[in-house]
Amino acid sequence: MNDVFTFLVGGKAGQGVRSAGTAAASLFMRMGRHAFQMDDYPSLIRGGHNFSVVSSSLEPVYSHYLEAQLVVALDQRSYDIHAPHLAGSGLMILDSGADGEGIAIPIMEEAQRYGNPQLISGVASIAALCAVLGMPLSEMNEVIREQYARRVEDNLAYARSIFQALPDQVHGRFTLERGTPRPQSLLTGNQAIALGAIAAGLNCYFAYPMTPSTSILHFMARYGPEAHVAVMQPENEIAVANMAVGAAFAGARVMVASSGGGTALMEEAFSLAGMTEAPLLFVMSSRPGPSTGVPTYTEQGDLYFALHQGHGEFPRLVASPGSVAEAFRLTGELLALAWRFQIPAVLLTEKHLSESRVTTSLDGEVAWPQEKAHRRGTYRRYRITDDGISPLLFPPSREVIKWNSYEHDERGITTEEAETISLMHKKRRRKEESLFKYLRGMHTMNTFGRTGPVVFTYGSTTLSVREALRHAGLEAQVVQPIYLRPLPTWELEAYADQQPVVVEQSAAGSFARLLQERADISPGHVIRRYDGRPFDPRDLAHRLQEVL
Amino acid sequence: MDGLDTGAENTWCPGCGNFGILRAVKKAVQRLEETGIERDRLVICAGIGCHGKIFDYLHLSGLYSLHGRSVAAVSGMKMANPELRPIAFVGDGDAYGEGLAHLLFAAKRNMDVTVLVHNNGVYALTTGQFTPTTARGARTRSSPRGNVEEPFHPLALLLEAGATLVARGYPGRLDHLAELIVQAVQHPGFAMVDILQPCVTFHDTYKEYNKKVEVLEEPLDQPGALALARERDRLPIGIFYRIEKPVYHRELHGDLHPIRDSLSRKQRWQLVQKLLSGETNE
Repeated sequence: MNDVFTFLVGGKAGQGVRSAGTAAASLFMRMGRHAFQMDDYPSLIRGGHNFSVVSSSLEPVYSHYLEAQLVVALDQRSYDIHAPHLAGSGLMILDSGADGEGIAIPIMEEAQRYGNPQLISGVASIAALCAVLGMPLSEMNEVIREQYARRVEDNLAYARSIFQALPDQVHGRFTLERGTPRPQSLLTGNQAIALGAIAAGLNCYFAYPMTPSTSILHFMARYGPEAHVAVMQPENEIAVANMAVGAAFAGARVMVASSGGGTALMEEAFSLAGMTEAPLLFVMSSRPGPSTGVPTYTEQGDLYFALHQGHGEFPRLVASPGSVAEAFRLTGELLALAWRFQIPAVLLTEKHLSESRVTTSLDGEVAWPQEKAHRRGTYRRYRITDDGISPLLFPPSREVIKWNSYEHDERGITTEEAETISLMHKKRRRKEESLFKYLRGMHTMNTFGRTGPVVFTYGSTTLSVREALRHAGLEAQVVQPIYLRPLPTWELEAYADQQPVVVEQSAAGSFARLLQERADISPGHVIRRYDGRPFDPRDLAHRLQEVL
Repeated sequence: MDGLDTGAENTWCPGCGNFGILRAVKKAVQRLEETGIERDRLVICAGIGCHGKIFDYLHLSGLYSLHGRSVAAVSGMKMANPELRPIAFVGDGDAYGEGLAHLLFAAKRNMDVTVLVHNNGVYALTTGQFTPTTARGARTRSSPRGNVEEPFHPLALLLEAGATLVARGYPGRLDHLAELIVQAVQHPGFAMVDILQPCVTFHDTYKEYNKKVEVLEEPLDQPGALALARERDRLPIGIFYRIEKPVYHRELHGDLHPIRDSLSRKQRWQLVQKLLSGETNE
């Protein structure tokens, strides 16, 4: 698709690069266009190199492109790194303090007039964007007022000086078609997760900061009071998960979030949730591992870790959204399923979805948790039932409610009796069967495209695959299982002898292995990327073309 | 009948200090009911160890949690439903070792929960290893040549962390212990009672405690309480320190009761729409 326009701004941490990206994405949204913003930043607070890239189109744009029509380099390093990303017809605007080919303007020199020259310099890139898109000064002022409301007078004055410093031939260099403004919002995956949880009845959120899940905590801390959600940052992830079980015991709908490392610390409590049959939603947003890995980048190396959380055998769910809108819907759905079946559920995502900002419309119903509730008579927490699901009751109550991490009898009293042990295992197994049966009636897998070769992918890589196909105009059937445990094998049977192409952000090819192990699907080719960077649609299209 | 028995078979060793603790708790529950705190609001939690078995022996609602994590679990209960009065039963290895961070942070926050420590100075259920409160030089199965670590002064540790009620009790003084538990539960804020619990099998301290224990009549000021808490030769029992301070959940979100005040499905959808139309630049 040739209508994609990409804006890239690069600078040091502290130069407002991410805000500039967001401002650009909002500007495209104002124009009735779709936008996808990806922020690339190292794990540091000042210095280094950050860039924000925003691709925009009249059609939905599923992932960003590195090749940009407009590059604004706030420093030399940004110029050096991004000069190769400039499209053939593109325009490079650089700070006059840097060496390079392009339109040099006094970005930093003008910024010196203001209180925080570093912070304000990002505004220059938006002034430049407005200029190259041929906006009049008045419209640029509107954009600045909207996007940079703090110290707005300084921002306006600075933006005007940059706007006017750009030579005439640059103004209106690009003509972008405007679309009909539609009701959509600019949302990150993490915001969508937070909103989905709020919509689906969340009462408590516990989290310890860990990139790339932290912005859920920020969002919840900010809007929790309005949503009547208790939001707490405990001392570590072990506390997070154990508090979550305690809050669920008290009857609260609870969500926690972390990345791989923090989730590893929660594992013992994940198993506790399995044994006590606590309804809990765990969000796990991946970054490259193992160990501390690469905190601010993306990878799908935690798939098997997510599938096998917790010691012991017990039912659980793992699912992964393939878009921001799906992250919203799926969060609610998993919370509801966790409550229906009294199990821990994992929403697995990655930095690329968690932190990318996308024009999104959220509509349709969000699921609502409905538990099997105790009606009358003597309460027994772990009552043996046909479907394996025991009724729930919460304190304060005249009845005694006992949740137990030890194997237990129906009342929740510790047991070591052989018969009771196997009876309880059977009860939990029946619950798992009930869950599987229920899932068969649900939407557990997405497919995009009706003809052509089959491409399997999941999670945020779905974004890259869809954009790559759109970019190259390739016909393919994309299959994206939303649920990963259980994998919807009943849906996948149709692809058993297809030898599909598998695309994933994993060094070991975990997803391909899962398809083989669980669905008996033998991938023909596995396209992998594992350098922390999301696939670029152009590169991916090229790699797909080679094998399709 | 107090209605607090579950009928579960009791498997503590005959003569175990835990029997006294269990009796004191039952007395305390009845006294609390007389003061208007009903038992359905008392929710209990236990860690893993000999102490934890009390969960099975008390006919009260609760969560038998993980080793070291019951203080985190009761914190979660309180956050979700501030009407509940959570009591965490913990062991010395459990709370002063495995889960020390949760204990210190609950004290730091003045989380409105009660923690009762069955402190026997030994890992008994795993058949006798040294714990954070085992004396230096003590020979245990994991320190056969003598423990080389200095023990914690648990009361001093909790005072430093910000606990607003710190006490020590002894099941050999049953009524006194029951009264301490009543006061700890009534206390608005974080209350901890370190209970001297003789372990007849691995660390029998009855004789020593019976001789040394003395009743502290009045709470002290913080420096006085700290100094007394650090003494090894005397074993005062009673409330060392008590002060009223704002409790965590109120400081964090005022009168919010996350379950009772939960927004309806429709209100939530309206809020989501409102947030979508506004700035969401987090």
